[in-house]
Amino acid sequence: MKTDKLQDAIGMIDEDLIADADNILIKQKKRRNKWVIPVAAVLALVIALTPFLRNTKIPDNPFVIKSYAINEAKYPQMTQYPLTELGYKEWAEDQKVKRQYFGAGENLDEFFKKTYSQILSDSGKENKLYSPVNMYMALAMLAEITDGESRQQILNLMGVENIETLRKQANSIWNANYNNDGAVTSVLANSLWLNENITFNSETLKTLAENYFASSYQGEMGSSQFNEALQKWLNQQTGNLLKDQILDIELDPQTVMSIATTIYYQAKWNAEFKNSLNTQGVFKSPLGDILCEFMNQTETYGVYYWGEKFSAVGKEIEMSGRMWFVLPDENVSIDELLNDSEALKFMNADGDWNNQKQLKVNLSIPKFDVCSDSDLKEDFEDLGVKDCFDSTVADFSPLTVDFNDPIYLSKVQHGVRVAIDEEGVTAAAYTVLPMAGAARPPEDEIDFVVDRPFIFVITGEDGLPLFAGVINQP
Amino acid sequence: MDDETIINLYWQRDEKAISVTKEKYGKFCYTIAYRILHNHEDAEECENDTYLDAWNSIPPQKPSVLSAFLGTITRRKSIDKWRKKNADKRGGGEYEISIYELENSIPDEKTFDEQLEVEELAKIISLFLRGLSPIERNVFVRRYWYFDSIKEICERYDFGQSKVKTMLLRTRQKLISHLEKEGFLE
Repeated sequence: MKTDKLQDAIGMIDEDLIADADNILIKQKKRRNKWVIPVAAVLALVIALTPFLRNTKIPDNPFVIKSYAINEAKYPQMTQYPLTELGYKEWAEDQKVKRQYFGAGENLDEFFKKTYSQILSDSGKENKLYSPVNMYMALAMLAEITDGESRQQILNLMGVENIETLRKQANSIWNANYNNDGAVTSVLANSLWLNENITFNSETLKTLAENYFASSYQGEMGSSQFNEALQKWLNQQTGNLLKDQILDIELDPQTVMSIATTIYYQAKWNAEFKNSLNTQGVFKSPLGDILCEFMNQTETYGVYYWGEKFSAVGKEIEMSGRMWFVLPDENVSIDELLNDSEALKFMNADGDWNNQKQLKVNLSIPKFDVCSDSDLKEDFEDLGVKDCFDSTVADFSPLTVDFNDPIYLSKVQHGVRVAIDEEGVTAAAYTVLPMAGAARPPEDEIDFVVDRPFIFVITGEDGLPLFAGVINQP
Repeated sequence: MDDETIINLYWQRDEKAISVTKEKYGKFCYTIAYRILHNHEDAEECENDTYLDAWNSIPPQKPSVLSAFLGTITRRKSIDKWRKKNADKRGGGEYEISIYELENSIPDEKTFDEQLEVEELAKIISLFLRGLSPIERNVFVRRYWYFDSIKEICERYDFGQSKVKTMLLRTRQKLISHLEKEGFLE
């Protein structure tokens, strides 16, 4: 039979692939409570009154709500990842529920490619980071509170036909990326900060709460207490990782409403870096040579990917996605890569790529902890989302029922922090997943040394890009 | 008993190794064999042959994942037996269905390069599988390594039948197209 050879070959695939499909308990040996990839992002959309209305008295709202929280989102309960076989079944059931939402973002390739190019380009000598999923969620919510051309421009950018489709997709993406089982923490938190003097369309707020798990808070815009409440919420949702950037997020009295979306993600490598193997090395930054600490690891069954202008490896994150390190070829700049259709396709492929080869990969990655803070207003405009920023044409009619003065989107503040390291790993407490024995040694070997500016993408379990960035200075 | 202790028993040539292997992995090996052979006696025979093979190959081998090591032996022995017994008749079962799925994915005019060694092809498939998302990879391995039925895969991952079938179809197509591009299917 013509498939005999194929069947026999499938029978001889690497043992770790066989074990991975069957034996979750192997992974349980590796449980520990420290994390190696803490990542967070916040995106705040500030919808404000036009400046010329600064002195206009806003009519008193008889329904001022004293308490800030008017609705707090209830997240799905999740069974904690079991440390023993006991409780595994319940945990597995929860994970199954989550998987039904996978694949919802399959049609977002173009959106992600456009935003990679727009937002990460022109980094100059700085680090630039952004969270594609966080931005998606903020834009989807913005589409909910706008109408007419303002909404259409957002739908066009996202490549989604109508608001109903977008709503369903956003809800699935939220669920697919929500994890809080003690093994992986990944929460897309959304909130609305409302001016207490304005009456909002309760139907719209309800839609946002039900479909986007958005909590609503109402208070006195510009007051130190309300700013403090906003900052406290943001810090809570991002595990205090963005404390410094969040200090700058304040809402002035002209703010009608602010949408704040965050993503907080903690996970660990599938195979840890060993502290003892770290070396000091030179990173060729645009600022000049920087001395930094490199984490080193040999992946016996690594996979090396390449394109016309780049090479890449993907490091697996336990029970989640992968972190991709994309290194431009020596004579290629980061910006050239961010405008190269093949490279952008790779950044979105999550490993589904023809040019790949299994070989021994000697990986050397600089340890880094980088932050980036930016106003994405111009980026949004360049991407075609323009009307929201122009008070003469912005259509926020789904937002308010009785407040018809011109309002517009005044600011899109995006803060991200990504840190990778090897901390907390000790050989005694952390058993490496046994790989296939020495029976099939790799024929080839490659040194993948990330010692010059590079791009990274962190994908979640369903393959969607959670974070992306350009690192010029680790 | 943990795997390392069991493997040490083999290395010490302690016959207890076989009984503890049977105790821990007997059901696992039997299930693989039964899915292929669809016959209790034959499956039991392959299970027992697995222990003998393990006894003869450890040492010198030192399996890193004992379950996969034993399962690979059982799978190979069961398929050999199936081929001998079913040269001209069909007995049913998941194994047979999975063969047809693979067979139908390969265009009629294409055959595998005769010079290509099975070990080499296994390496290529492992590499291909590593490029898939973890869920696609595991579903493929469950179907074509463990010979799980579609229903069992649905239950394991809580997917609908059409989702699993589509996922498997796409993965098979991707695999075949990968093998064609690399020149292994001509």
